[in-house]
Amino acid sequence: MSNNDTQRTVTVRIQRFNPDVDKKPHMQDYQVKMWPGMTILDALHEIKTHQDGSVTYRRSCRHGICGSCAMHINGRNTLACKTPIINEVKKNNTVTIGPLPYLPVIKDMVVDRTSFWEQYLRVKPWLIPPDDIPEREFRMSQEEVDALHDAEACIMCGACYSSCAVIGLNKKYLGPHALLKAFLRVLDPRDTAPGERLEIVSQADGVARCHTIFNCIDACPKGLNPTQAIETLRKLAQKRQKYEEAKAERQKHLNEPIPS
Amino acid sequence: MYTSTGFISWLLRRISGLALVLYLFMHLWVIGAANSGVQVFNDRLNAVQTPLFKLFEVALLAAVVYHALDGIRLLLIHYFDLTEYRKSLFWAVIILSAIITIVGGGAILVIAFTGG
Amino acid sequence: MLTFKLQRWSAIALLVFLTIHMIFMHYVPPFHISFDVVQARLSTPTWKIIDILFLFSVLVHAMAGSYQVITDFESAFNYRKALAWASVIIVILAFVYGAKTIWAFQL
Ligand code: SF4
Ligand code: FES
Repeated sequence: MSNNDTQRTVTVRIQRFNPDVDKKPHMQDYQVKMWPGMTILDALHEIKTHQDGSVTYRRSCRHGICGSCAMHINGRNTLACKTPIINEVKKNNTVTIGPLPYLPVIKDMVVDRTSFWEQYLRVKPWLIPPDDIPEREFRMSQEEVDALHDAEACIMCGACYSSCAVIGLNKKYLGPHALLKAFLRVLDPRDTAPGERLEIVSQADGVARCHTIFNCIDACPKGLNPTQAIETLRKLAQKRQKYEEAKAERQKHLNEPIPS
Repeated sequence: MYTSTGFISWLLRRISGLALVLYLFMHLWVIGAANSGVQVFNDRLNAVQTPLFKLFEVALLAAVVYHALDGIRLLLIHYFDLTEYRKSLFWAVIILSAIITIVGGGAILVIAFTGG
Repeated sequence: MLTFKLQRWSAIALLVFLTIHMIFMHYVPPFHISFDVVQARLSTPTWKIIDILFLFSVLVHAMAGSYQVITDFESAFNYRKALAWASVIIVILAFVYGAKTIWAFQL
């Protein structure tokens, strides 16, 4: 790529909505001169500092770990701070940015994520450890770690939640983020409440409400797989008792060394 | 709206499913004519075996075949953890449904118009 | 979860029954269906059992599916108990009607 190409001027089309004056959201175009390595978030900063201070969005860490900057970029949910703008302006030299879909818009790219957090809390996302905590560390085998499929890497950005068509229809559904967390805790050998969690997710608003649309996988900026987590929970929920017993048995040996 | 192959498959599944539910109750009613005797049954069945209805039957076949193959796809994904193959499985379902509908539908029409 | 399980099991049953049904009704002669044709087929107990099971699984699948589609809307979701009972009643009524029809070919 020539230097010229990475430094050309591109159009950033932003969905604007100010609840004080607008009835409906509208699109507004800004011209931004790219620099090598510029991200979508950089472009938004550029617009906010030099062109229009009223453009509103959430951001904090700007390196893909806080989850604040999830938005709808060229029809896909992703993190603005880890998306290079050069990859997004291939069509018409333009990138289109809007708020996360299916959620109430507060202003511009800022959405109301209340339902997201409420559903999250319903699965008791915290670890419920055994009563006797060992003096040294809990021991987990490599297979047990692998079975979690990196689910602990979730940064609660909401990209999966707001890509889900079921969430679009019914905010009572737990949602991919909450189910992924439930999966993480259910599979965690240290967790002592797998039965209770499986009970929660097998309600009418739990795993059965997922229609396997896969949008959550495509949306997740961390490359996680909520659909697979939901399929696993569905299997475990159907043999809950057996799974609970196996886990209780496993917990008796939590602080013993793993036989290699 | 957030579109993807998964979203399309879901829409098609719902539309074909609801169409099949409607068809099911119509079907029950048509066959239910047997309760009113041989003559009524034969009359009602003759009415739905005209060439026009044979065309409907091909559409029905398409809905059934898509809905069934899509279901098989979901079962495969559930039991064999195939979420990573979601896109190829979707296109496989579309192509297979098209082939089965064309072959099966063609056979229905040939039978209907050559009198079996 | 119950709806989900009913849906899966009836789906697997339907894959078998519907294949049989489609092949025998549309691709095996005689091609023109009349009372005598159905009566001849239903005179064997195996066919009677197949058709009764087919009827039951297709009704369960249809109503479980409709219930899922409807309760996906949040407004309907709040009435899901009533909708579930309505679906059960429709399944029972339609099953009785369908079974009576199968019986009518005894004449
Ligand atoms: S699973 Fe992925 S998309 Fe969903 S909240 Fe976590 S990091 Fe974001
Ligand atoms: S700003 Fe923290 S994830 Fe983008």
